[in-house]
This record gives sequence, C-alpha cells and structure tokens, in this order.
Amino acid sequence: MSEWLRVFRQGLGLENPLTVLMIGLCATLAVSTQLQNALFMGVAVVFVLTMSNVLISAFRRQIPDQVRIPIFIVVIASFVTIVDLVMKGYVPAVYQVLGIWIPLIVVNCIILGRAEAFAYRNPVGLSIADGLGMGAGFCLVIMLLAFIRELFGTGRIVWFDTTLISMPAGYAPPSLLLLFPGAFFVFGLMIAASRWLNERMASVRAPKGGAS
Amino acid sequence: MRESLRLVVSVLVTCMVAATGLALTYAVAAPRIEEQDRLAQERSLKAVMPEADGFDAVEDEELIKVATSAAEPATLTAIYRAKRGGSEIGWAVRVSSRGYGGPMHLVIGLDTSGSVTGVSILSMNETPGLGTKVLSEKWFLAQFVGLPPGFDDQDVRALDVIAGSTRSANGIRDGVAAAGRAYDKALQGREEAANE
Repeated sequence: MSEWLRVFRQGLGLENPLTVLMIGLCATLAVSTQLQNALFMGVAVVFVLTMSNVLISAFRRQIPDQVRIPIFIVVIASFVTIVDLVMKGYVPAVYQVLGIWIPLIVVNCIILGRAEAFAYRNPVGLSIADGLGMGAGFCLVIMLLAFIRELFGTGRIVWFDTTLISMPAGYAPPSLLLLFPGAFFVFGLMIAASRWLNERMASVRAPKGGAS
Repeated sequence: MRESLRLVVSVLVTCMVAATGLALTYAVAAPRIEEQDRLAQERSLKAVMPEADGFDAVEDEELIKVATSAAEPATLTAIYRAKRGGSEIGWAVRVSSRGYGGPMHLVIGLDTSGSVTGVSILSMNETPGLGTKVLSEKWFLAQFVGLPPGFDDQDVRALDVIAGSTRSANGIRDGVAAAGRAYDKALQGREEAANE
C-alpha cells in the first residue's frame, strides 16, 4: 500500500509529467487558455492514461517486445475514440469547447510514455497508481497554467458563461498571455517554481545536509 | 517463422479487439450523437429566426448552384426556407468563412425582404479569449441584426470589429456579406407560394 502511494505521489511532484519529465507539452500549451477546457482535458487524460495503463499492464506478458509500440498506440487510440464518442453523444456542451483537442490525446506523449516506461514493466495495481498520479499531476499543472493565463489574459475566469472571478475594473489584460509565447513564459515560471518547491521539500526531508 | 507468426497474430488480435470495442461504443452512442447534431442544428436555425416554427431544407439544385457561386469566396453549405404557419417568412443560410483558426461555420437568417434577422455561430476554432470574443461580446453579433434589405459588402464592412480579434470578426463579416449576396442573386423573390 505504501508502495502504491509512493508511485501515486511521484506523478504529482518529483516526477510530474509536465514540470519535471516535460512530456505532453504540445496539447498542454494549446489547451491552457481557459480553466474550463483545461479541466475537461485533464479528466480525459486521466481516464485514457489509467485505462491504457491497466490494459497494457494486464497483458504485459502477452505483448511481444518487438511490436509493443503499435499495440500501445492501438490501445490508446481506442480509448481516446471512446472518450470522443461518449462526449459527443452525452455532454455536447463540453464537446463543443473541447472537441478538436480530444484526438490530440492520442499523440500526448505522457500516455505512450507511461505505457512504455511503467505499465509494461509493473503489475496492474501499481500501474493504476501511476496512471492516476501522473494524470492528477497533469491536471494540476494544466489547470494552474490555464487559471493564470485566463485570469490575467482576459481579466476574468469564465465557467460555462458564468463569470467566477474578475479582475478590478480598469485592468487591461495583455493578450500576449493567451497567445503561444505567453504559454511558454508562464510555463517557464511554473517550472522554476516547481523546482524550487521540490528542492525545498527535499531539504526539509533531509535537514542534516547543511554545512552547519 | 513461429516467432514472426506470433508477432503478426498479437497485433491482429489487438486490432480486432479494439475494433470490436469501438464498434460497440459507436453502436450505443451513434443515435445519441445524431440526436445531438439535429438538436444543435435546430437551435441554431431557431436562434437566427425566432419567429419561425419550422425549417425546410432547399433541394432545388439550380437555386443552390446560383446561391453558392454568389456566396464565394465563402462556402455556402445549406439553405433553409423558414416557415411560420405554412407560409414562408424568410431564409436561413449556412455558410463557412475563413477565420483566424480555420473555417467558421455560421447560420444567417434573412427575412423575405432580405434584412438580417440573426447570426449564429455553429462552430469555430478561434483562439479562446481572443477570437472567441466574437461570441462572448454580445453586441458584436447583435449589430448584424436589422441590416436593411439590399445591404451590400460595403454596409457589412462599415460595422465594427473587435480589437484583438480582427480576423475572427472579419470571418463573420465575410460570412454575412456572402449570405447577403446569395440572397440578392438567388433567393430574392423565390419564396414558394403559401399553401392554401
């Protein structure tokens, strides 16, 4: 159980797919202009990542080494298509904002990366932990990124046509934040912040490392 | 030989299982998806012509051909006759024009005199927070309503755009202008006689 928690927590912090491993950035930077889109993207990624991890881990002894990549891709693409169809049919409002980004999950390297690096070598239970943890880490970072970009780039946070938070009147939002360069700026600052945080946490865990 | 056979079979089996799973999901979801598409279409038609109680797609190929060439460079994809109590009260025209992030699919409502009754966006791929202002800034789409009968490209170009989303706003202006041209060249006076 403690092993399970350790794997889960790694996705959130020390091995966060976005700020530490830095995979799957393409979709992240593109979708993170609105908190609402980011949340649904995150949920879709958690689902696909966990499901593909489970399946690949369960059949890891049957999947021949030489053709593992095509098999991973087929599994991942199938789950993404399932998400796509279900969203289209049952939550059209969400599909309307996110529709074009869903197929992008197939090429999101986080999912293929975890299938290859983790699920293919570890038992099902741990693969679930890895999927959920990596997914949660992805969610956390993409939502924070979207929150910053939307709040400072448009001056308010909108949730399905309802304004949740707005900046004081007179705030002139720099639209640079919403464009791609803005995504890189904010994301760069977030990487710096997360490294600082990880280092601090590491030194708290091992306090006797200092010179004094 | 045995080894390569094993590789082929494992990929084959994976693909077959995946295809079966997808087919099942599709069978369950397809009717819902069709239903949602129909509802979305109905809502967008209703939005541009609130008084109408029914819409019939135009199937007269000659009419569609003339209207399509009048609408260029925007692409006209469908024309509907708007009906109220059996008599025709106008047209709804579906066009796609070029925005910043690709095609923008619009529906434009025109009454029988050629005046604009409404514009709605079926789908677009504009930058959230910038290009999407054409939807969130309500005044923008509202300013097209009431464009007078016989309006031309100049009248449409005289309307305001939104700073920061010029190209998205231009896409919509192009779409409305195209619908206007289609009306002038093809639809004007082509209402069907009211059913007795």
